[in-house]
Amino acid sequence: MTAAASMTAIGLVLVASLAIGLYGVHAARTSPDFLVASRRISPGWNAMAIAGEYVSAASVLGLAGMTLKDGLGAMWYAVGFTAGYVAVVALVAGPMRRSGAFTVPDFAEYRLGSPAVRKLCGLIVLVIMWLYLVPQFKGAGMVLHLVSGTPYWVGVVLAGLVVSASIAVGGMRSATYVQAFHYLVKLLFIAVPAIYLVVYVGAETRAEALRPVDVGELASEHWSRPLIDLQGAGLPLLSTWSVLLATTLGAIGLPHVIMRFHTSPTARAARRVAVVVIGLLGVFYLFPAVYGLLGRVLTPHLVYSNATDTVSVVLPGTAVPGLLGSVLTALVATGAFAAFLSTSSGLLLALAGGLSHDLFGGGVSRLRVAVGVGAFVAVLLSLPAGHLDINVVVGWAFAVAASTFCPLLVLGIWWTRLTVTGAACGLAVGAVTATGAAVLSAVTRPSSAWLTVLLAQPAAWTVPLAFLTMIVVSSRGTPADWSERAVLRLHAP
Amino acid sequence: MSGARRVKVTSPQTRIALARGHRRHPQLLPLPAPADAEAARAVFAAQRRTALRTVALLGVVLFGSSGAVAVWPSLDRISVGGVPVSWLVLVFATYPVLLLLALGHVRRAERAEKRRTAGGRGDGP
Repeated sequence: MTAAASMTAIGLVLVASLAIGLYGVHAARTSPDFLVASRRISPGWNAMAIAGEYVSAASVLGLAGMTLKDGLGAMWYAVGFTAGYVAVVALVAGPMRRSGAFTVPDFAEYRLGSPAVRKLCGLIVLVIMWLYLVPQFKGAGMVLHLVSGTPYWVGVVLAGLVVSASIAVGGMRSATYVQAFHYLVKLLFIAVPAIYLVVYVGAETRAEALRPVDVGELASEHWSRPLIDLQGAGLPLLSTWSVLLATTLGAIGLPHVIMRFHTSPTARAARRVAVVVIGLLGVFYLFPAVYGLLGRVLTPHLVYSNATDTVSVVLPGTAVPGLLGSVLTALVATGAFAAFLSTSSGLLLALAGGLSHDLFGGGVSRLRVAVGVGAFVAVLLSLPAGHLDINVVVGWAFAVAASTFCPLLVLGIWWTRLTVTGAACGLAVGAVTATGAAVLSAVTRPSSAWLTVLLAQPAAWTVPLAFLTMIVVSSRGTPADWSERAVLRLHAP
Repeated sequence: MSGARRVKVTSPQTRIALARGHRRHPQLLPLPAPADAEAARAVFAAQRRTALRTVALLGVVLFGSSGAVAVWPSLDRISVGGVPVSWLVLVFATYPVLLLLALGHVRRAERAEKRRTAGGRGDGP
């Protein structure tokens, strides 16, 4: 019953996406220039498209799962995801639009004139995108396992195929309206069941959700502290601040997000669009906590079976019996699917662009091959990642972005003395330390609490280190004579 | 599908990069008015001040709110409408503050731009 309802809802969303996508492609093709067409889109639609691409499985499934497992502190991730857009408004949206660069490697070439740094940026795009794709594919594998009982790997492989195919159909993703539609699907399909559940469970359960009981090893006192305590190391403030640094500054450097500001006609509009995004994200992030809090009362068994990331999908069926429960489950599963599809296709396209355009200098024909290769590697990486929390892995992707592209963009835009050597050294140091820490954290268990936290979320030290490297190395060299002009050009009204 | 010709879309920087192969420095798009370097430097300095201010405030909001929750555990025990105050800060209070911060930045940045454009052309107030 649940499986049938879920499949029907997911099918309807797919068909609607395709229809809206075809309409959008048609409109773009009949105009002489694609960019002119995109200029007719109002800032509201544009912002909704950005939010649609940004709200991923980490937001729909991961936040609720982590709230159930570790406590309400998980919502600091959401605060950081949103605060990132304040940093984007203040630091990059306007100048990025004026630079005329679509991607971060594009920007590196504009600002530093170095093909080598462009290639380095292309490599880092791959690392960030793969780290970001793995938790999306994990989410897909998990949700499919829940609604239809197929093994985890079937969902992962299917996810790779569906996303590759949706890009191959072409144009679908590029239509702003499809992304905007996906934002609405995610918001409605998460918000409506959440509100219904809050009303349906009654006063007693609601009160119980606010005064949690002990579950497993986790005492209620520890759980109800609204801070993140990574791997239970006992350093909540350090963990929370490191996560906030990673998510806020990482949003600046996410390759697939930066690209979206080009659809605004002017720098002024780009800034305004980013402000609307903050509002849209703020509304969405009110709801995931509901699933985590109610899940603590109604589905505590998920903590024991290490399946907390599934709570958003499991909870409605457990709380509400019969047909209505199935329908609510189908709604949430569809919201999760929309989150997975829109984010993954954006990620995979950015990844393929990095592979084919920045690293191997190929044309559009190679892009298709790159999509296939990118999806294949992401599937391979996702297969053994079933036990990792969605939010933790997404946190790593943000940490790498915050330690590499964030300093490159911020210093490139606001500091005239940045040199090619400085940028390259900073990028290399940031990429190696942040990725290295994440890998170490996944495979080892350090004995010291500090080391545990600083590996599990390395942004607290890798971001300052990357900034410092760029500044110190640049100060020892001389910037190109056109460097100041390149910077001033980014701020000319 | 319609019979109209498809247009290949690349960013201006990508077009320049593809056209020139790999020469040493980029061909910069010309500075629009105000073209004179002094005025452009003044705009840059004003924008940088605004940006620094917003980022500093953002730091205060993020580290301040999480710091307050960490320093005063009593916020968990005081509740409004049955919900602990520290939970309310985290789930509801931060988003409107972030939105206001961004709105304030946009107002300042746009005002600085308007002033400079008007001043540069010599027809400002």
